[in-house]
Amino acid sequence: MTTLTSSLPLCAPPPARLRRMADDLGMSVILSAWSAVLITLVDGRPAELYQQLVYAICIGVVGMLVLDSVRLTFWDDPVRRRRLMLPFLALLILMAPVAHYLGCMLGGLLLGAGWPDLSGYPKRMHVQMILLTLLGISATFLIIVNRERMQRIQAERGEARARAEAVERQALQAQLRLLQAQIEPHMLFNTLANLQGLIAIDPQRAGTMLDQLIQYLRATLGATRAETVALADEFAAIDAYLGLMTVRMGARLAYRCHLPDALRRARVPAMLLQPLVENAVLHGLEPKVEGGEVRVEASARDGRLEIVVRDTGLGLESGGQKGGGIGIATTRERLRALYGEHAALELVPAAPQGALARLTLPLEAA
Amino acid sequence: MNCRALIAEDEPILAATLARTLETLWPGLEIVASAPNGIIAVEQALALRPDVLFLDIKMPGRTGLEAAEELLERWTDDQPFPQLVFVTAYDDYAVQAFERAALDYVLKPVNAARLARTVERLRERLQERLAGRQADGFERLVEQMRAILPPQAAPLAQQQPLSVIRAAVGNVVRMIRLQDVVYFQASDKYVTVATAEGDALIRLSLKELLAQLDAGRFCQVSRSSIVNLDHVASASRDPMGKLALSLRGRQDRLRVSPLFAHRFRQM
Repeated sequence: MTTLTSSLPLCAPPPARLRRMADDLGMSVILSAWSAVLITLVDGRPAELYQQLVYAICIGVVGMLVLDSVRLTFWDDPVRRRRLMLPFLALLILMAPVAHYLGCMLGGLLLGAGWPDLSGYPKRMHVQMILLTLLGISATFLIIVNRERMQRIQAERGEARARAEAVERQALQAQLRLLQAQIEPHMLFNTLANLQGLIAIDPQRAGTMLDQLIQYLRATLGATRAETVALADEFAAIDAYLGLMTVRMGARLAYRCHLPDALRRARVPAMLLQPLVENAVLHGLEPKVEGGEVRVEASARDGRLEIVVRDTGLGLESGGQKGGGIGIATTRERLRALYGEHAALELVPAAPQGALARLTLPLEAA
Repeated sequence: MNCRALIAEDEPILAATLARTLETLWPGLEIVASAPNGIIAVEQALALRPDVLFLDIKMPGRTGLEAAEELLERWTDDQPFPQLVFVTAYDDYAVQAFERAALDYVLKPVNAARLARTVERLRERLQERLAGRQADGFERLVEQMRAILPPQAAPLAQQQPLSVIRAAVGNVVRMIRLQDVVYFQASDKYVTVATAEGDALIRLSLKELLAQLDAGRFCQVSRSSIVNLDHVASASRDPMGKLALSLRGRQDRLRVSPLFAHRFRQM
C-alpha cells in the first residue's frame, strides 16, 4: 500500500506544495507587473501605471491561483499529466476570461473604485484584454513549469554527484582496507615453514600455532569485507600475529597487549592496528640482533580512543622505517577518509630506544 | 666421507628443522654449529671452517648475501671455501638472481626431495674437490656472487656530485678536495677519509657516498672501501694470496675483495 499511496500526488507533503505555490504566485506577480508596464507604455498613459499594476497583478494572481492549484493537485504525476493535457488546455483557455473578470472586480475593490461596471461583459475592449490575459497566464505557466523542471534536473544532478562521491569514498576505503589486509608472502611462507618443523618436533605446539595462524588469516582476510570490528577482535588478531612471531623469533620477541574491559566493545576500522604492530616487528625488532619487546595499549581519554604501539627495536632512523613506510601512510589515508581531522597517527622515537606509534580516534561504542 | 656444515638461520625452529632434515638425507654430515644471526655466522664460519654453509637470506645483523660477501673478503686460502647454499622463504627477486647466477638455494618451507637434490650436488662437488679434480670453487663462487651484486650505484640525477669533503678533525672542519682523497674506509657509523696528509672522519654511509662520486675515478674495492684510482700505484698479492693496492702518498696498503679484484687485472 505504501508504494501506491506515495505515488499519489495528493500525498506529497503539503508544506512543499504550499511553498511551490507561493513561489509560483511570486513569479506571476512579477510577470503581471511587467505586462502592466508594457501595456502602459503601449497605451502612452503613464498616469494610469498604478491602476494598471493593480489590475494586472490581481488578474495574474487570480488566474495562477486557480491554475496552479489544479496543476499541483493533478499535474505532478507524469501519467496523469499526459491524460489531463487536453482538459487542462481547455481550463487554461476558460480561465482567461474568468481571471480577467474576477481580477477586474478585485482590482476595482482594492482601488476603492467600487464595483467596476461590468454589465454587458465582455465588451470589445475586454476581448483584447482577455486575449492578453490568456497570453500572460500561458506564458507564466510555461515559465513556472520550466523553472520547476530546471530545479528538478539540478537537484538530480546534485544527488548524482553526491552519490558518485559517496561511491568513490567507499571505493577508496575498500582499496585502503585491501592494502592493509595484504599478507606478506614472506611472513606466510616463513610461518608455514615453522609449522612444518613443529609438526615433527612438537606436535602440540604445532596445533597451537596452527590455531593462531587460522585466527590471523581470518582477521586479515575478513577485514576486506567488514568495515569495523570490536576492539577486542582487533586485539585478538594482534595477539595471534604476535603469538606466531614469538614462535618464529623465539626468545628474541616478547610482547604485551593491554585492553581495558570498558573498551572491548568499542568499534574500530578493521585491520587498523595490524599494520602498526607488523611494522614494529618487521622493521623494529626482527632486524635487531638482540630482539626486544612490543607493547600494545588502548585507553580512553576525553571521549577519545588512544592506542599506543611501542617497540624497543632499531627505531625510526635505521632500516627502512624512515617516515613509517607503506603501512603508516595507508593507515593515515584511511583515518583521513574515515574521520577527517578527528583522528591522528603519530610516529615518534621511543625512549630509550625503538619507535612509538600513537593512534587517536573518536571513541565509538557498539 | 665426513662433512661438516654450519647453519645460519635466525628462526630456531627452522634451524632445527633444516638440521633434522639434513641428518636423514645426509647421514655423514655433521652440523658443527647453528648461528642465530649474520654476524655470528661469519665469525663461526671463519673459526670452524665448515665444508658447507647454509645461509638464510633474511637475518638480523647481516643478510645471508652480506655474510657471504664478508666471508669471501676475510677467508684465508689455507682451507677451501665452503660450499654455499642460500635459504629463503619467499623472494622473487633473490630467487631469480640465484637462478641467473646458478647459485645453490633452497626454499622454505623445505621440501625434502628438493633438498635431497641439493645434497646430491653438494656431495658430488665435495668429492671432486677431495679428488683434486677441481679447485675449491672459490673463483666460480666469486663470479656468481659478482653476478648477483647490485651494480655500482649510478650518481643520482638530482644529487650534486661532491667536489669537496667537509670532514671533522678534532674541533676543526677540514675541507678536502676530492682529488686529494686517496681512499674512503667505512667503520661502524663513520667513514674515514684517507689523504696523503692524514685521516679525517665523516658521518655518511658508504652507499650514500658512492652515489655522489665520479664512477670513473672512484672505485669500490671491498664492502667497506672506495679508492681514488688516481692514487693507486700498483696491485699485488700479499703472502696470504690476498690482493692489495699500493697507494701514492701513503704507506698503508688497501685490501681488495675478491669480488672487486677483476678491476685490477692486467690488460
